[in-house]
This record gives sequence, structure tokens and C-alpha cells, in this order.
Amino acid sequence: MSDDLVIEIENLGIGYSRKQILGGLNLQVQKGECISIAGSNGTGKTTLFKTILGLLPPFQGKISVLGHELSSEKERRWVRRQIGYVPQQTLPGKLPISVHDAVLMGRWGKGFSYGKRPGPKDIQVTIDILKWMGLISKEWNDCRYLSGGEQQKVAIARALVREATILLLDEPTTFLDQKSREELLHLMKRLKLEQGLTLVVITHESWQLPKLTDRAFQMTGGKLRQLTGQDMVSPSSLNWSRQNGII
Amino acid sequence: MGLFDYLKVSLFQKAFLGAFLSGAGISLLGVVVLTLNLTTVRFALMHVALLGAAVSMVIGFSPLLGALIGIGIASLLLGPAGDSIKIDTGAIGVLFMTGSLGLAFMLFYKAGVSAMDAFALFTGNILALQSLDLWAIGMLAGIIILIFIIFYREIQMVLYNPVLAEGLGVPVKLIRNGLLLLTGLAIGVNFRMVGALLIDAAVLLPAMAALSLARGLKEALILSAIYGIVSQVGGLTASMVFDLPSGASITLVAVGLVCVTSLLNGLVSKLRGANER
Repeated sequence: MSDDLVIEIENLGIGYSRKQILGGLNLQVQKGECISIAGSNGTGKTTLFKTILGLLPPFQGKISVLGHELSSEKERRWVRRQIGYVPQQTLPGKLPISVHDAVLMGRWGKGFSYGKRPGPKDIQVTIDILKWMGLISKEWNDCRYLSGGEQQKVAIARALVREATILLLDEPTTFLDQKSREELLHLMKRLKLEQGLTLVVITHESWQLPKLTDRAFQMTGGKLRQLTGQDMVSPSSLNWSRQNGII
Repeated sequence: MGLFDYLKVSLFQKAFLGAFLSGAGISLLGVVVLTLNLTTVRFALMHVALLGAAVSMVIGFSPLLGALIGIGIASLLLGPAGDSIKIDTGAIGVLFMTGSLGLAFMLFYKAGVSAMDAFALFTGNILALQSLDLWAIGMLAGIIILIFIIFYREIQMVLYNPVLAEGLGVPVKLIRNGLLLLTGLAIGVNFRMVGALLIDAAVLLPAMAALSLARGLKEALILSAIYGIVSQVGGLTASMVFDLPSGASITLVAVGLVCVTSLLNGLVSKLRGANER
């Protein structure tokens, strides 16, 4: 495996219980690359993330992350420490929690866990990331009352405090208004360019991240297909082209 | 007889100690029930505890032990077993609730349990606390506080976002099922104090008041313990001073606390809003 290869998936079959959702999956992600995976609901996009995180055992095939094959619990735990995971946005829960604490959580398993409390380094990394993300003024605000865009920023900040090299983002722009979506796309671009992170982004539609992704994939019929530039044209621009007689 | 004269009597000393321990430790679990939306499950556990106590009464055993055994089995079925056979804990909770209540009434009728004895299970009697009850409450309160101290961050993550916690590698199911079992046990040991009908006054109302004011889990837990002690000890004191039923007094003090904190919360939000403008 080359040093530049951060995720390598070979002939992977995944699913829940006894039901296989995806089969014969092959994917290689290079260091610093941004790839997007699109597909409708229930096609197995989130299941793929859970398998990369070592939370679901594959039915067949193998996954290696940063050269470590997910074959034992020790390897899976190591891999989880290298990955920042931003789950699909849900409604804020009922628990009162400050932005600081919600972001600090990302250090779990890295700097603290169980009886071990967060140390000065965990706190410092959290503050540094909050500053970098422009969230420091809201450090002690209650997460329940943040806007959708701010909550998504908190989720990304939490993934960043893990000092991860890979970010898995599950539909990060869904439910966001246009302005928040643009801000988030700008932030993701900074993560790629300034921090050199490898981004794997699940989106609902392939055309949502045209300027960000190096390669785009479509998950359909239990398979992963790489898209061409033509596939990534947005429906609105397609309509415009048709209306103006271009295509 | 004045309040201080009451305090010289062992019966009342036990009652106050029980009220303090229950308020300090057991009310913490209300925060878990409310934030994880376990209200239906908690309601089911309450009725299974009632059934366990009813079975014990019929066979001449300790109602507390019967309630705890019933709850242990129900927690196991609603937690780990529920995970593996993919049952909807909300829906199955309703089945447990109605089934347990129906069975309990059937047992009372067939065994000829007097209406007053059966009624005591529903209303409880803090003055009837025995040493065994106090040990059970004290040990459980200690275990709950210890678990919240040791696993504070993990519990916070599970309460905040279980999907995220799972993604980070936190054993979400283990923590959730452990908290569910503790909640069941808390309901079981509180039975003698406030009874099946008013158990929420001990478990849920202090947490409800705390969550409306708190800005973090630590604050919510500390406030919940304070409100739990105030409602339990305050309610018991009021019942002695004004010669009122203890369970009902504890409940009404807790309801009063929720109302006052809600008003306070509304006022604080209004003031904050005015300041921001």
C-alpha cells in the first residue's frame, strides 16, 4: 500500500444483520483528496461509513485505513482515533450542553476516556479549533439554541479536535439554508487546502459539491460508480441549458 | 408534637434519611429518562415493579424484593434483549404496562389482598421505611452517584447524541441499558416512599425543574439532586407540620418546584432577550 493511500477498500460486501446492502465494492482514496458519494436514501452510504469506522463487520472483502487493516478490535480502535466523523445532522436533543463541551467530546478515546478526565492538552486543542472555526465567541452558548449552520460547524469542530487525518462527513449540507451551505462549503475547502485533510463526503445529490470534490461517486443498485463531469451538472443548470437551446 | 420532637423518634429519623438519600441520588436518573425519551419505558417499569410487589404480597414476601426482581427482568427484556430482537421499546412498554397492571389486579382479587394493602402499594408510606429499605436506597443512591462521576463524559455523550457517541467508539448500548436498569431499580426502591402513582415526583419532577434552568449536564445533575432533596425532605417536613399524607406532600412540593423554576426560566429568558435587544 502506497504512503499516499489513506483508504483502500477491496471487494467489500456490507449490510446489517443478514441482509447485504452493498457488494463487490472497490475504492481507493488518496491523501488530501476529497471524494463525494451520492445516492438516494437506503442505498448504504451511512453503512459504508460505519464499516470504515469499524462499527460494522464487513460480510466480505477488506478495508485498510492508513495501512491498518480493520481485522482486530485493537486496529479498529486505532483507526477510529485517526478519523473525524460528522454524523448526519439530527434535531438538537434535550440535553443542555455548551459548545465547548460538545466539541471537547471529539477528544474521547484520544485524550481522555472513562475515569480519565480531559487534560490541559484536550482543553487547549478545543480552544484552538474553536478559534480557527470562528466559534470562540459562542464557546459557552447552549448548543440547543444554535442555528443549523452553527450546529454543523460544531460537529465539524468536534471531528477536528481528534487531530484526525481523515474526515467522514455524512450529508453535511442537508437542512441548511443557502448561506449556511456556502459557508460550510468554504470551510470544507479550507480543511482540504489549509489542513491537508482527506475528506469523504456523503451527499444526497452529486452536483452539490462540484467545486470541492476531486472525484464523485454514485451509489446505486448495491454498486459504486464513478461519475464523469457530465453527471455532476445540477438540475437547475440542465434546465437552463435546455431552455436556452444549448442541449 | 413539634417537628423536633418528631425527629427524636426512630421512625421519623429513618423517613428523613430515606427522603434525603432518595432525593440526592435517585432523582439524578430523571435527567436520563427525560433526555433519552424513556418516559414510556419508565412507565412500563413502574407497573412491572407493581406486579412484582403484588406477587410478593400474595406469597407473603417482601414487596421491595418482589418489585426489584420484576424490574430486573423487565429491564433485561426492554434493554439488551430488545436490542437483539429489534423490538420497539416504546410499543413493548405499553404491553408491559397494561399486562402488569391487569395481572396485579387479578392477583389482588384472587389472593384476597385487602383494598387498603393494595392501595398502600399505589400511594406508598415513607413512615413505614425499614432498615432494609434504607440500605437499599442508600446503596443505590451511592452507586448512581459513583457511576455518574466515573462515566460522566460517556453518559454525557450518550445523552447528547448516541449516533455520534457510537462513531467515537463509546459502548452506547451498554451505557444505555445500564442506565435503564438503574432507573428500574430506582423506581423499585422508591415504591415504599411515594408509591406507584406518585413515583414520578421522586424520579422525574426534580430533573424536569433542573433541566429547565441548567446550562450543562453537571449543572442539571447538581440541581436535580438539590431539587430532589428539597422536594423529598421539604414534602416530608410539610406533611408532619401540617398533618398531611407524606407521598402527596412530597409530590406537591416537587410540582411547586417545577412551576417556580418554569416561571423563573421564562423571566430569565425575557430579561436576556431584552438585554440582547
